[in-house]
Amino acid sequence: MKESQSAIEIRDLTRRYGKLEAVHSLSLTVRAGCCYGFFGRNGAGKTTTIKCLLNLLRPQSGTVRVFGFDPQRDEVAVKSRLAYVPDAVAFYPWMTVSDTLDYFASFRAHWNRDIENDLLKRFGLDRNQKATSMSKGQKTQLALITAVCPEPELLVLDEPTSGLDPIVRREFIETVIGAYQSGDPGNRTVFVSTHLISEFEGLIDEFTVIEQGRNLLTMNADDARERFKKISVRFGAAPAPLALPGALQIKQNGRSAEILANGNSEQLMAELRARHPEDLRCESLSLEEIFVASKTLTQSGK
Amino acid sequence: MLFQIDFKAGKPVYLQLVDQVRYAAASGVLRPGEPLPGIRPLAEELRVNRNTIAKAYAELESQGIIETLPGKGCFLRANHSPFTKVVRDKLLLKEIDEAVVMAHHLQIDRGAFLEMVQERLDYFERKSGGSGDESSPKTTPRRTQ
Repeated sequence: MKESQSAIEIRDLTRRYGKLEAVHSLSLTVRAGCCYGFFGRNGAGKTTTIKCLLNLLRPQSGTVRVFGFDPQRDEVAVKSRLAYVPDAVAFYPWMTVSDTLDYFASFRAHWNRDIENDLLKRFGLDRNQKATSMSKGQKTQLALITAVCPEPELLVLDEPTSGLDPIVRREFIETVIGAYQSGDPGNRTVFVSTHLISEFEGLIDEFTVIEQGRNLLTMNADDARERFKKISVRFGAAPAPLALPGALQIKQNGRSAEILANGNSEQLMAELRARHPEDLRCESLSLEEIFVASKTLTQSGK
Repeated sequence: MLFQIDFKAGKPVYLQLVDQVRYAAASGVLRPGEPLPGIRPLAEELRVNRNTIAKAYAELESQGIIETLPGKGCFLRANHSPFTKVVRDKLLLKEIDEAVVMAHHLQIDRGAFLEMVQERLDYFERKSGGSGDESSPKTTPRRTQ
């Protein structure tokens, strides 16, 4: 895969449901081989965007390309290169685990049986169990197996871990890293929409925060953690309200204060140090904190 | 676990790994010729992107700290400084300056600072010369700025 080829290219995508505008002029680019986080609250437009990638919905304006293909015109070319795990998975209730896997495999040119066996064992799934009697966690595990076995170039995950217990969630992420990503690293792209961000923190190379259908913030994860920092300071005696030009946000509470910095933590730290605080520390915001604060971060960031 | 990742440290994850391998090598937790964890198991264990580990190992290799043997994995190299003395001095000076600035801000005077340096040198010497039974995860001391 060449650097120049992007896995996903979305330009000015707009999609309405009646009067409701779910996605408004959204643009983003996912490089091949990268793990891309798509963060947003419920109803922000994440699933609508993903459905446009899969040709389950058609854009009303703008373009969507997957590996350069238009999902509407070249549906087969797109779908043979990706696999999708939706938030609510449904299988035919009369099929067993084995039947389901064979059924999915019948649509694929390639199916890795070794991975299938490994993952069935790892998740402790019984080949003869019927889908009706499976728990939500087991259904998600089965969906993940159906997505990983074809070894697609792109894995699209829509809220994959919501409603699952912590152990299943952990296994899910380990599988994405291990069984999926390690196969052919340069050609393994992950696009994951989630609001359980902390679990995916280590996996995310780049992310977009979507808010009311608009791209609020797109950044590289390391850059974001380096830029957005939280400074905690405590003084010996309660100071007058802190005036710190350049601080994104100041929350003062008696002797202590919390200050948000946008790329200027060094300078703010120096200003605070000059006031001889009792305690002064600085840490990066996690991606989850960046998501929660993204409105503040982008408003004053300009 | 040999390595620990702190997303709040404000340092790119791959550089945290690089630092920790260098620390493990300096303190004798990892010895020359010993293997580093494989990329996939380490990525799964830390639950970080596989590419992050690969990037850290590539960086360590370019610094001459580890070497990759095809099909076998990555190993700590015996004599791991490819740099000339001038470059080494320069690299170290930068780090020392940072510590000196920090000491100034924390109001640690010259005597106390030098004492601490001595103490740390002794500590690392003891560890790398010792029995190597230090299994507790030693991460680079957290910087409070």
